[in-house]
Amino acid sequence: MSAVVFSTWQGEFVDNRHAEGDAVAQTSFKLPVLYTAETKSKAFIGWDGVAIFDRDIDAVRLATEYAAQYQEYSEACGRCAPGRWGGRILYDMLDKIARGEGSYADVEHLREVSQTMMLTSKCEIGRTVPKPILDLLEHYKEQFDSCILEQKPSRHYQSDIGYIAKITAPCMDVCPAHVDIPAYIEGVRDMQFSESLAATRQTMPLAHTCGRVCPHPCEDACRRTNLDEPISIMELKRLGADYEADHALPWQHPHAPKPPRNDGKKVAIVGAGPAGLTAAYYLGLEGIRVDIFEELPVNGGEVAVGVPEYRMPIDKYNKDIDLVLELPTVSIQNNHRVTADRLKELDAAYDAVLLGFGARLSKKVRADNENPDMGGYWGAISMLDKVNLWHKYQIGSPASNELKGKTVVCVGGGFTSMDVVRCAIREGAKKVTMLYRRDEKTIIRNTTYEEYHEAVEEGVEFIFYSSIREIIDDGKQITKLIADTFELVPDPDGGRPQLLKVEGGEFELECDYLIPAVSQSCDMQLIPEEWDLKLTSWGTLLTNGKDYMTSKEGLFAAGDCEYGPMTIVNAVGQAKRAASVISRYLYNGGKCTLTDDEIMEDHLNQLRVYNKNEKITGWMPGLPREESEKLSVDARKTNNREVNLGFTGEEASAEAERCMRCYYISMVAV
Amino acid sequence: MSKRETMPSLVTVTIDGKVCQGQRGQTILEIARAHDIYIPTMCYLTKVMPIASCRMCVVAVEGVEGMILSCQERAVEGAVIHTQNEALYRERQNIMKLYGVNHPLECGVCDKSGECDLQNKTLEFHVDQQPFAAKDQHRPVQDWGFVSYDPSLCIMCEKCVRVSNEITGNGALQIASGGYKSTIVNTKMDKSDMSLGESAAVCPVGALVATDFKYSSNAWELEKIPASCSHCSAACQLYYEVKNEKIYRVTNAYEFASLCGRGRFDFDFANSGVVKDQEAFDKAVKALSEADSVIFDSRITNEEALILQKLKEKLGFRLVNHEARAYQKFTEAYSSISGKTLYNGTLKQVAEARAIIVLGTRLHDDNPQVDYHITMASKRHKARVVYMHPMEDGRMQERVTQFVKYEVGTEDGVAALLAHTLLTEAVLPASIREVLDDLDIGNLSAESNIGEEELTDIAVSMQGKAHRVLIVGSDLYAHPRAAQIAKLLALLERYAGFSVMLVPPSTNTLGVSLICTLDDRTEGKTVGYHAKADFVLSSSQEGDLDMPALNQQEGTFTPLDKCVVPTHVALPYGGFVLNDLASALGVRQPYTIAYTAMLPTDKGYRTEHFDALPDHYDATGEAHRGYLLHEQTCASHLEIEEVEELDGYDGVVVYRCDSQEILSASIRPTEEMQYMPLKGSQQFATAAKLKDGEVIEFMIDGVTMKRVFRIDTSMKGTVALNPQFDMGLSTPLLSSYRFSRLKFQRVES
Repeated sequence: MSAVVFSTWQGEFVDNRHAEGDAVAQTSFKLPVLYTAETKSKAFIGWDGVAIFDRDIDAVRLATEYAAQYQEYSEACGRCAPGRWGGRILYDMLDKIARGEGSYADVEHLREVSQTMMLTSKCEIGRTVPKPILDLLEHYKEQFDSCILEQKPSRHYQSDIGYIAKITAPCMDVCPAHVDIPAYIEGVRDMQFSESLAATRQTMPLAHTCGRVCPHPCEDACRRTNLDEPISIMELKRLGADYEADHALPWQHPHAPKPPRNDGKKVAIVGAGPAGLTAAYYLGLEGIRVDIFEELPVNGGEVAVGVPEYRMPIDKYNKDIDLVLELPTVSIQNNHRVTADRLKELDAAYDAVLLGFGARLSKKVRADNENPDMGGYWGAISMLDKVNLWHKYQIGSPASNELKGKTVVCVGGGFTSMDVVRCAIREGAKKVTMLYRRDEKTIIRNTTYEEYHEAVEEGVEFIFYSSIREIIDDGKQITKLIADTFELVPDPDGGRPQLLKVEGGEFELECDYLIPAVSQSCDMQLIPEEWDLKLTSWGTLLTNGKDYMTSKEGLFAAGDCEYGPMTIVNAVGQAKRAASVISRYLYNGGKCTLTDDEIMEDHLNQLRVYNKNEKITGWMPGLPREESEKLSVDARKTNNREVNLGFTGEEASAEAERCMRCYYISMVAV
Repeated sequence: MSKRETMPSLVTVTIDGKVCQGQRGQTILEIARAHDIYIPTMCYLTKVMPIASCRMCVVAVEGVEGMILSCQERAVEGAVIHTQNEALYRERQNIMKLYGVNHPLECGVCDKSGECDLQNKTLEFHVDQQPFAAKDQHRPVQDWGFVSYDPSLCIMCEKCVRVSNEITGNGALQIASGGYKSTIVNTKMDKSDMSLGESAAVCPVGALVATDFKYSSNAWELEKIPASCSHCSAACQLYYEVKNEKIYRVTNAYEFASLCGRGRFDFDFANSGVVKDQEAFDKAVKALSEADSVIFDSRITNEEALILQKLKEKLGFRLVNHEARAYQKFTEAYSSISGKTLYNGTLKQVAEARAIIVLGTRLHDDNPQVDYHITMASKRHKARVVYMHPMEDGRMQERVTQFVKYEVGTEDGVAALLAHTLLTEAVLPASIREVLDDLDIGNLSAESNIGEEELTDIAVSMQGKAHRVLIVGSDLYAHPRAAQIAKLLALLERYAGFSVMLVPPSTNTLGVSLICTLDDRTEGKTVGYHAKADFVLSSSQEGDLDMPALNQQEGTFTPLDKCVVPTHVALPYGGFVLNDLASALGVRQPYTIAYTAMLPTDKGYRTEHFDALPDHYDATGEAHRGYLLHEQTCASHLEIEEVEELDGYDGVVVYRCDSQEILSASIRPTEEMQYMPLKGSQQFATAAKLKDGEVIEFMIDGVTMKRVFRIDTSMKGTVALNPQFDMGLSTPLLSSYRFSRLKFQRVES
């Protein structure tokens, strides 16, 4: 809810210009009324309308500046005739009117150009820019009239007003790393694969990885869904990364790494997982010295030792890792466990420390007689460590030594549990069962359709609406499990349905290995107690979610240790922001600041860019989403070959051509 | 299984009331064009993927709100489409008005005037006033070498960038995005880059023009002579554009076909000013009638080849063409396994390939058109490209996925390793399986220097790929063990599902090898046809009797696509031609092209008359040029000899190869060059004890070459590039394997 003077945002018409008291209407949108805690916004203007917060607004200049920003930001555009010339003409005409030199003929031309842009532009930016301008022309007509009739500049034409603009897209907005998705898809469409990769790497160094194992929240916010099916956004990311690797091309950085600063400033990063690597990458690109400390002998964190080879081949992940570690100012020490004492040393020796460790403690299933030391009780993290260290690095011994011919029961429902059961199949287990408290629909929502479907194909048995009541052992070894059955009972009052135990629904399960994969928590032993860091209610490091500094000055946190066990892309997004904040923190006397771009990013995220009810025009509905080829069950379930073969060239082009380039531009006047 | 695969393969739509059927996946525009329905476009270029920058092609679809981009949107079953209505007209007209904003009104001096899409569409849409205006910007013309760029004329259709990325493949041209300030940039600024001509060819306005052509003629004054390029065995379609008996430029059917820089810019080779010299003619008749041998070059038409063959039959001389003879022997050995007279690959298959092996050619220089097709496969289909050669070629990096370097001379071992690697699962005759099983892989691998891991990588790249292509180049044809290599490679066509192209080394090597019965060597008195001999017939004005150059003749070629394509007379020729000599010697036909219908049908030619040969592209881009050779089966002898000990070359080696860059220097020399450069790496220099700038002399096949040695820091290894295009009439004498050990003497310069 925001207090506004006037708004046409998303079709909601609010006009309080002449309203007082009870007549003052509210908007239902979270509009950026306050730009920052200290700064009020005068207006917000964007793809879906305009909102005015200040009665003294200069609507003519607002429209002009918006058109100017479209010019300014047109590095994302200028790729079609209506957008390229139309945008310029819009600006020139508006500025002419704002200067006090315009005529009604200019207004007519402006409307004409707007119409052509809205009907024929290549991307949404060209199609939507005229909308709020036309809104202002209509609802603040008197301001335009006075400029034209009196041939005088608009009311604040010469005033010092800040106009801050930001390009976004529905997919970019929901992506935690805010990857410039339309740009990398355009690169695939244009077969400019290096450009595609450069676009990805602006905010996402792990292109190989997030082209494979990202849960792609972007696809849930794809506007194409309003027309037919969402774009296969994640997989299109592979094209650029594979192109670079296949042709052994030099690293395609978003910009050439700046030369090492060698100014004595340095940043320590704890953990070489997605968060640590991402922060190191963006600090390294700035020429800032970064030392990474990694406990394991191998790099990559949970994605390396947790995500199985058949989903994320290590030679591909190593490309992402090498991209970071080969930057001249980035170094890494492996087998280096950071203890509380060591962290104190780092804190003293470095100008900033970023904690990027993971959540590697498997939580219990909370059953009777649960004893993690009992034979056959094997935490998911430790089981996956063993599997991956052996297959990817030939460290340790094969997990088939333990699992071959055995009966394995996993309790879970998330990605980790899927990895557990599918790995158990590959290690030769006789029978693999997954127990889950909820239903099939929920497990698909929590993972992906492909993941669940492939596990079923490979022979995993899923038992839904069930959980373990008791673990039975013979004193040394787990022998069987007793489980309960649940049912979802709808609330007669229309509230959330309740999960209730079914009386007499208990059953027994044979079990050699019980692998709990319900969730993971962070090991906070490395945090010195005397620092008394603030934690979240779920036991992770507390930050404000914007600059990622903990309650201790100079100590930052990103990824699972900040958020709790979450996705790779979440860790990347947080770490990228943290790196940006740190890069300024080092040089501005220890202040945490956000750039205008980051402030706008957060505002737009609040407002929500994707509108699932929007009607799409100008595109043919009915083109199905492309699906890439997968290895057949028989070809995959006894080995670690990558299951998803990726798009062929023509599938990739066809899919990229479905993308509607939903770029939007928005602007705040302060 | 993808949903697409379960859908029917045809779609039916209604366009402007006409029921049209198309292939699933085809765009609305493609289907419209196939049915002769006009939709205006400014940025559409048939031969590349849709660009979608102009937005002129918008159409209305019933039941769909808004305007639909027909060039990019694939047809959906049952769609009812309207291509013309008032609203569409208005938007298209507005786009044309926008294109006109600040476009300089200088049609009077613009090279494009008369064939300019902007001019045409401005008239078509009756744009007679300009209601829109924007501040103009100062943007100077840029000289990019063979072409010049004028940003103020540029409409940012992006066709040139597409071609640079998707066809010629060097990606020199890129878009510098910047809204109104957007421009095309040349990221390489290599002034010797002739492939930019291909980008200029597709420019719809006067923004990209050939620098030399600039301000030289109005487009409408030029007569377009359809022809086939005579520079290499691709024999690409082109037009010589002629005025007052002078070629001003070369253009082509750029919407559908491509032409390399040499084809486009190297057109000034006519033998002009020749008059009939009866005395020389009589001497030539006498020389021919007394000749024991006739040696000739493959850069001739099929008809000339047939005349030479008829003369041989009549006069009994030996007919010698080393290069074509080697190719002939190679294809004979190849056919003995494949069971067919011709290899099975085509350029179209290269562009459609998912996996490609290139063996025995420095392809980027040897045959740009094949390279372009590899680029298309690489960009469009993510094709795996294994490039096997003793010399790395950095210019191919963006398309090659695996570079396999082998030792010079070990090509027979390489072919054996390839056959062994790619035929593991094939069902083979026992005798052949035995030979492959008996191979000493470890030894072959060590001698050729191809690691077993590299072979595994090749196998993985080829695994499961539906369209696999093997491109074989001219390093192999004159190899001492060419026949063995040919047989091993033919196994891949017959048993491993490969489409194979045996790229003919010169313009009409394939035609000559099919038409002529060739002898291995000359004997006694010789007459040379474009070749050094006791008596020389030549178009280079160095001979004893002048002959017309290939742009002064009509006739046909047999290019690598195994077809027969016509070429026409661009410039007049006043002297005698081969047919005159033949007629004087009793092999009589009124015109050279009378022989077109007499080409040997047992080799796949038709009894088609020259004037009946089609030479155009239809609206969908399908080529109708001449005809395809009829493929014939032949007896196969499924026998392969064991692979002998490999014979690798140690020490410094020179490789006969005309680099594109050197060629461009010859067309427009930047400095006075007395000797052509022999380019080698620092390592080569050290091994050969040569310094940069030293002039040396060496002999290959009895031909003496003088070269100035130049160190090229981009090169590696101990093989140097030795150009041969300056050897003129001696070129046909070069008959051996392309690599030779270098034994040289220093020359006082």
